[in-house]
Amino acid sequence: MVRIKERYLLVNILYPSEIGVKPGVPDVVVINQPTTDRLTPQALLRGIRAEVADTFGDFGSGALEGGGLQVKYLSNATSTFILRITRAQYRMLWTALTFMDHVPVKDGKPCTFRVVHVSGTIRKVEEAAIRHARNLMFAVKDQAGEKDRAALEAMFDQAKRTRQAARAVMPTPLNVEDDSGDEDMIDISDDWK
Amino acid sequence: MLYDLNIAWSPSTTQSELTQTLKFSASLGYNAVALNHLVEIFPPQPKNPLPRFPSQTSQSRPTTKSAASTNDSGNKEDKNAQQNQNQTGDDRSLPTVLHRATVCMSDPASVHRIPQLATLYDIVAVRPTTEKEFSHACQEVKIEVASLISLDLTQKFPFHFRPKPCMAAVSRGLRFEVCYGQTLRAGAGDPRTRAIWIGNLMELVRATRGRGIVVSSEARRVTELRGPADVVNLLAVWGLAAEKGMEGLGVNPRGVVVNEGINRRGYRGVVDIVQVAARDNGEGATAAAAGGNGKKRKGGANEGRGGGNSNAPPADGTISKRQAKKLKKLAMEDGGTTTPEENKS
Repeated sequence: MVRIKERYLLVNILYPSEIGVKPGVPDVVVINQPTTDRLTPQALLRGIRAEVADTFGDFGSGALEGGGLQVKYLSNATSTFILRITRAQYRMLWTALTFMDHVPVKDGKPCTFRVVHVSGTIRKVEEAAIRHARNLMFAVKDQAGEKDRAALEAMFDQAKRTRQAARAVMPTPLNVEDDSGDEDMIDISDDWK
Repeated sequence: MLYDLNIAWSPSTTQSELTQTLKFSASLGYNAVALNHLVEIFPPQPKNPLPRFPSQTSQSRPTTKSAASTNDSGNKEDKNAQQNQNQTGDDRSLPTVLHRATVCMSDPASVHRIPQLATLYDIVAVRPTTEKEFSHACQEVKIEVASLISLDLTQKFPFHFRPKPCMAAVSRGLRFEVCYGQTLRAGAGDPRTRAIWIGNLMELVRATRGRGIVVSSEARRVTELRGPADVVNLLAVWGLAAEKGMEGLGVNPRGVVVNEGINRRGYRGVVDIVQVAARDNGEGATAAAAGGNGKKRKGGANEGRGGGNSNAPPADGTISKRQAKKLKKLAMEDGGTTTPEENKS
């Protein structure tokens, strides 16, 4: 039996231009912030078609029509979506995503589209999406944890200074526990990178 | 390791914009980036105006470290290393930042003065615009002077890239730089520029057959950065094979950085000091003593083990347990298989 070969692209919408605007929020959270609810699958498709037409002209538009472009999944909360396209045209679609620089709605924010995973079956792409989201959680926890630890250490330092004589050794067991927990996180986030 | 050897910098770039770009570049997975200073008119006394970042102290300018040769150099270096570790620990969100100068070759007088930049920047590149400059860059600019030929692919070149000068440059160790930021930027402005960029890229890939190409961003704003996979795909569509594209992000720029580093640190770009052994007499003596102790203890342990294990051969204490087991097994096998044969014969 002949079957149509397809490619599924897992894409993340990233917002890099807001790094450092809000001081208290970790960078990972800012980059992966939720997308506006005005972005619907239809709007996304319209944006992609326009970009392909801009870059590849009529040839590209036609190829996309024949390629059966579909939005299989769109999550505004995690800024993630999955696209389906025939295998012959997926690079064209990917290029169009690379060229897009704002959310394809009216007055859309500047953003970049990053293709995280390309796969031949939707099951694998789903697994990849879950894995990616998990790693993201760890990265956020890691960054937030770092801040907490810094605050804790500052407190302990102050405590040390006020009653320096007697129990300078006391905070060590706490610190050790903290460190070991943190190292685990660092390992995971490094894997992800 | 992924490299992005061109983050555009100009005097009007603010620190916060730059930090934003660097942070996003790190989160996309780039390990080392270079801030690029485009030198269009060669100043009479060149200076390096690029801002410094804390993570830089660990990698660049290692000469100061190795120059320290006092008695307590060991301690000092330890302290330095610790400080660096602390700094990098605090700024894990930033990649390694290098400094780079790109010299426009339009001014013939400036070409002779490029070596002056070597001490100021980590990487030096040249940017030719005409055929004469291009062939000069390919065939005559020494690898010690500049290791990158950066091309502004958005302008229409009045000549074709021919394989001979291009391959001569690649085989001499020079690399061609392709900046994808130019084409992302081009979409907003003149629609022809993107077409010209694509045309130039295809011609360059045809001339070099995809070898010796370094891919970088030349991002002026943070939105002009793209993930490594996206970039590789982009160039794959325009004719650069995917594995060549990966080389352009990893192996080739690494070669450029290492080469430039050795040119600056090493002797004639051939001999390099990787690590200096401790020369302190007192320290050496204690180390030797520690070694002696270690040996003694080891010997003692071996003896103890030998004493415990009655089957071990007493003469060679150096034989390892594993080896002994192997020998024993061999001996048993020999005993099992050869004795009947002997009996037969």
